[in-house]
Formats: sequence, C-alpha cells, structure tokens
Amino acid sequence: MPEEKNIYKPLKAKLIEVIDESPLIKTFVLIPEEEFSFKTGQFIELSVDGIGEAPFTPSSSPLITDRLEVTVMKTGYVTEYMHNLKPGVYMGIRGPYGRGYPVKKFFGKEVLILGGGCGLAPIRSLLYALENIKENLQKVILCYGSKTPEDCIYKPLFNRLNQIEKFEAYRTVDKGDDEWDGPVGVAPTLLNNVKVDTGNSVAVVCGPPVMMKYGTMKILEMGYKDEQIYLSMEKNMSCGLGKCGHCMMGKYFVCKDGPVFTYDEIKDQPNIWD
Amino acid sequence: MHYKSITRERWDETIKDLLSSHDVFASLRNEFGQDYEFISSEDIPDIIYNEPKPVTSLKNFFLPVKENVTSDRETERPRIIIGAPNCDIEALSLLDEIYLDKDFDDHFYRNRRENTILIGSDCKGIQEHCHCLSYGIRPFPTKIADLAIFLLDGNVILRILSDQGEDFINRIPDATDINEENLLQSIDTEHSITESLLENANKGLPDYIRTGEIVRNAGTEIWKKYSATCVSCGACATICPTCTCFLLIDKPGFEKVKQLDACQYPGFERVAGGEDALFSLSSRFRNRYMCKYVWKPEKFQPVACTGCGRCIEACIGKINKNDLFMELA
Repeated sequence: MPEEKNIYKPLKAKLIEVIDESPLIKTFVLIPEEEFSFKTGQFIELSVDGIGEAPFTPSSSPLITDRLEVTVMKTGYVTEYMHNLKPGVYMGIRGPYGRGYPVKKFFGKEVLILGGGCGLAPIRSLLYALENIKENLQKVILCYGSKTPEDCIYKPLFNRLNQIEKFEAYRTVDKGDDEWDGPVGVAPTLLNNVKVDTGNSVAVVCGPPVMMKYGTMKILEMGYKDEQIYLSMEKNMSCGLGKCGHCMMGKYFVCKDGPVFTYDEIKDQPNIWD
Repeated sequence: MHYKSITRERWDETIKDLLSSHDVFASLRNEFGQDYEFISSEDIPDIIYNEPKPVTSLKNFFLPVKENVTSDRETERPRIIIGAPNCDIEALSLLDEIYLDKDFDDHFYRNRRENTILIGSDCKGIQEHCHCLSYGIRPFPTKIADLAIFLLDGNVILRILSDQGEDFINRIPDATDINEENLLQSIDTEHSITESLLENANKGLPDYIRTGEIVRNAGTEIWKKYSATCVSCGACATICPTCTCFLLIDKPGFEKVKQLDACQYPGFERVAGGEDALFSLSSRFRNRYMCKYVWKPEKFQPVACTGCGRCIEACIGKINKNDLFMELA
C-alpha cells in the first residue's frame, strides 16, 4: 500500500528576506524545508500561520529549487498580515498547482508579453525560464505598465533584459511624475510600437482583470489568433486541488485546469474578466 | 444480478452481532421524518427499509461538515451504512471522481469510502419531490453500493453489487441464494411500480440533458424571479448529495480545517482585489444550476443532480427548481 499523502498539509518555508518593490508590493524570499520545484506559471498557496493562505505564482526562476520568491501586493486580509512579517518566521507552502506556461510550445517563436502591476511577478519567473532557452526563441518582448513610476516593480529588471540578446523590454505608466520621461498610457498602448511577426508568435498576458481584458482585445486586433494568446487567470483559488469549487470558471477549475489558459479555451466561459 | 435471502429475524441478529466490530448507521424515524442514525442494539427493530429517503444525504459520512485535514487521522472503526437510497448512492460517483482524482487523492475521503460497507435500499413508493428517474437514475441501486436491500414477505432480500458485498453476505451462514423466477419477478414488479409513480409525478419535467440546455439558455429574468425569495442560506447546497464545495480555514500550527461551503453565500468567488463574479443574489442562484446541469456534466461523467428533491424541501424561500425548469421547458 502506498504511503498516504496528505494533499492539504503545507510545507514549511523560512522567510529569509523581505524586499520592498513598491509602496504596496513586497517580495518574500523563502527557503522551503524540502526541495521545492515548480513549472513557471504554476502557483502555490502561501500561508501565514493561523491567519490564512492565498494563491501566488512564484516570481523566481523555476530552475532554482532550494529558494523561492513570491511577490505579494497588499490587497486584502492575508496579504496585509504578510506585509507585516519579518525575516525569520516560517510560512506555509502548498503546491505547486495547476498548469503553467507551455514554454516548449514557444520554441522557434517570438514571445510577446504584456504585463501590468503585480502581474509582472509571474512574468519575471517566465522571463527567467525563457532566458534559459533563448537559443530556441526568435525574440522576447516585454511590455509593462504600472500606475505610476513608483508602482513599477523589479525596476532593475528592465535594463538587464535589454542587455540580453533577443530580449526587449518597455515600460509605461498610467500617470507620470516629475522625473518620468518615458511613455505615459495604459500597458496595451505599448503594443502600438512593437514589431512582431504575428504568424510566428505567441502572446502572454498577465495583470489586473481590466488590463487582461483590453490587452487581449488589443492583441487580437494585432492579428494574433485566440489559440496564440496565453492568459494567466485570477480567480479565488482556495484549495488548489480542483475540489473546493471557489475558482470555477464555467467548466474549468482555474486552479487545476489553469491558471494559464489560451484565450481560445476560455473565451466562451462566463465572467472571465471579473 | 445475484440475490440472497435471509429472514428478517436473522438479519436483525446479524446487525446486532456486527455492532461489536463495526459502527453501524441506518435510517431511523425521528421528529423530522427519517434520517441516518448511529445504531445501538435497541434500534435494530426500528430500521426503515425501502422508504425514500433520509432527511440528510449520504455525503456527510464521507465528507464531514467540518474536519481538521492536517492532523493525523485516528483510525476509524469499519462502518456499515444501511438504507441509502439510490439518489444518494449515485451521487457518490461524482464525489469519487472529484475526491479520488488521480492527481490529488483525498486520503480522508478514500479511507472512509474503503472503510464502509454500503447497503443501499430499493425505494418502494416515492416522496413528493422525488425525481431521480427524470435524470436517468433508477430508484434502486445497481452499482457503487455493496448490497441493496429489499424487504419481501418478511424476508430480507439482498442484491449483491460488489465483491465486498459478496464477502459480507457470504459470512452470514443463513443467507441463501434466490433463484425462484417468481420471486425475482416480484422484485422487478415492485421496481416498475415505483418507476411508474416517478414517471406520473414528474410528467413535463425535462430530462437532465434538456435541463442543461434550458439552464444554459435561460435569460436573466427567470433567475431574478426565482431568486426573489432566496435568502442565501445555502440550505440547498448543504443538503444536496452532490454539492461538496468547501473552505479551508487556517489554524495555528499550519493546521487546516476543511468546512463545507456553498456558492449561495455572498463572497464565495470574491478575490482579494474585491472583484466578485457572483456578487448579485441572482448570479449566485444561477451559478448553482449552471454548475449542476451545465458545467459539471461538461467536466465529469456522472450526473451532478440525482433528483433527490431535498433542495426543494429544504428551501425556506419555497423555491422549487422543478417549477423553474417546467416554466422554461
């Protein structure tokens, strides 16, 4: 008889560093008690002991298995507690769950990535994964928007990406400040200036629901087909196991069947942008 | 189908003997009608057979309303459940598909399923809201359970439905094989009588597939109309044999308590940023029907409504889903 595995039990992970990314966003660096591997785009349930847990896609490289980075925006009950945590405490991890980005399907193609706000967290992990296979890609273009320059996370990432062969990274802000001399406008406006071969390309979209919606519409206008667009969906993923029902989006459990879907898979399902 | 027979007296003695080694639950009459109760030696003569249906469904035996799912599980005594109607038994096939999923096998559920001898009961007669047959479920168990019980002329007839059921019955020395054609004919006749009652009571009620089409195509007005008296109490989901959505609640020490939830409660789908696809009462109300008749059948093999009718009986807003379906059929 195989050993019983408890699918509900978290793995403990020591918080070793908290990085301030923006006024509302912090990155938590964790050392899991056991080796922990995930595929880029998969998510975990991260818990504060005795308080609650919430789903996050790790923002670190999927190639690293002894250390995990999770970028968290303060937006609710559990994340507020997380933002008050200090290094040294233990957090709980369940997962990894769901279906991540099918990076092998990106081989030989251009990858256009549209991100907004904290949506850059899963994208950063994807970028690490793509950097590792860049020989197999045509090019990678990141278009990212934040509300203000201050709200942009991983600021050094953009310069670094622009120094990598085949990678291009662009930033915009909804509203500039005195020091900002870059583009002003919502994230999808950056797509007006990118050069892509839509016939040999995939698009990845991750960000707040309203950006996901208008970004996807814009990418469709550019000539991408429904099945070329990969969306990282946000629902109330609670158990992560395809059982508790909270993340149902039509016939899909977003936690198990997603969170990454092609637009083609979900376009007929209800409330995909809510 | 293989049948064995035993006298009622000998059957009662068998149950009494099993009490020392098993936790036995059976349907007994109580102030609310009948319900599954823990059996002591005094209860045995009062077990109700062949009457639909216990007030609560079978699911709570396998998925308790609330349990700590991180603490080490105590070894439970083997369990026998007697008298489950087929609407409850068929519901287990959906629960099995969800909880015994190959990727995420819920060992709490698995252990309880494997630790239980399930003795179903053929329904003789129907209750007001019974409509299993409309959804392709017959009023007598044919699979999933281990045995099905049928009282006939003072004898207990047991239909063998699984290897575990066969082992169980083989350990009862006085149980004899039934081969008499006329006896088997009597059972078939009783089944047909119950099915006729179901057919007559549910004339005009669309079948499961047609109900899915109706629900999918229904406009917003019908959901607003029928949810007007809904108070989001979640009784429909709580009592439903196939509704098993749950919450995981964190407790100190990284413990998790799993608690039955319902999509009828406000905030069921709300995400941390505040977006809530099921914010309105009528959207939550519609969600339950979409889940039962459209989405679950797209995703899973078994039906997600077994026609037990308990949601109609439990509703304090007096909402009758079958009226809704017939209005649109």
